[in-house]
Amino acid sequence: MSEAVFSSPFFGLTLTAACWVFALWLQKRTGLLVCNPVLVAALLVIGVMTLFHVSLEDYNAGGSIIKLMLGPATAVLALNIYQQRQILRSHFLPVLAGCLMGSLTSIAVVLAFCWFFATEDMFTASMVPKSITTAIAVGISESRGGIQGITAASVVITGVEGAMLSPLFAKLFRITDPVAEGVAIGASSHAIGTSKALEIGPLQGAMSSVSLCVCGILTSILVLFL
Amino acid sequence: MHIMAEAAIIFGICLLSEGIAALLPFTFPASVISMLILAVLLLTGAVKPKHIQLLSGFFIANMGMFFIPSLVGTLEYAEILKARFIPFLVITLATTPVVYLVTAWTVQLLIRHLHRKGGESHE
Repeated sequence: MSEAVFSSPFFGLTLTAACWVFALWLQKRTGLLVCNPVLVAALLVIGVMTLFHVSLEDYNAGGSIIKLMLGPATAVLALNIYQQRQILRSHFLPVLAGCLMGSLTSIAVVLAFCWFFATEDMFTASMVPKSITTAIAVGISESRGGIQGITAASVVITGVEGAMLSPLFAKLFRITDPVAEGVAIGASSHAIGTSKALEIGPLQGAMSSVSLCVCGILTSILVLFL
Repeated sequence: MHIMAEAAIIFGICLLSEGIAALLPFTFPASVISMLILAVLLLTGAVKPKHIQLLSGFFIANMGMFFIPSLVGTLEYAEILKARFIPFLVITLATTPVVYLVTAWTVQLLIRHLHRKGGESHE
């Protein structure tokens, strides 16, 4: 009976939805950025699978249905661009230049480290898109032969780091312009950083959400030249 | 709009993007193509935000949930991650401040420069 339960697509669907809702609740309850719901939920799913000896194949019967929805979830990010079109227009050049420099820097620094550690191609391909939003990052990783899970893990950790440290970065690097601060948060720590940018200020939040979309697009284009 | 009409619009754009991605001579994420198509449709007014508000609200509010299967899938590659744990952590954590620094200063210097030239304030 347990085999029939675990191999049903409803197992992966139920487990993912339940862990996600619990992790959201936990984040709200504790208010801690480290309790990132994506990270907590994934660890919970892995915990349950380990406890009941559920194979990855069984989980994926339902998990793959949720993963499929990553495509439409990325598409609707276009609403961000649309809603922020005025700000994007009035700061077009600085935003574009900042995102271009940020995306290039991210790719260059990752490649330099990978060269230093002499990592295998599969690992390098997984790390290259680590600064951009998960939905686009896993797409790039997959199309370059990387491992989606490693990419997703790196992206989420990057986001939590950026959200926690970006106020410190602004002070340390003497960033006083709110537009510059917002663009930098979006470029270095995507959507998770944006949640912090929105707390810092509405202009920072808006710039950050525009920046995460622009950097996602630019990085997808830039990696074509690698 | 009926929620299934919204689904038809959004899924249709995703389907079209996969077709375009297959035709491209290089590999490019279909999800980025679908985002660009939807952005163009919204900016030209062909699609109004209210045409997709129910479903996009659901997707945006639960964005994180869709990454869970990818993260769980790392289990399959636990050996690689274990063997490469130090590079993984160093790359992940060290890149972020560098990207922040370069991006913020590019924007800040450019805004100051344009401000001096045009005399137009952004605040």
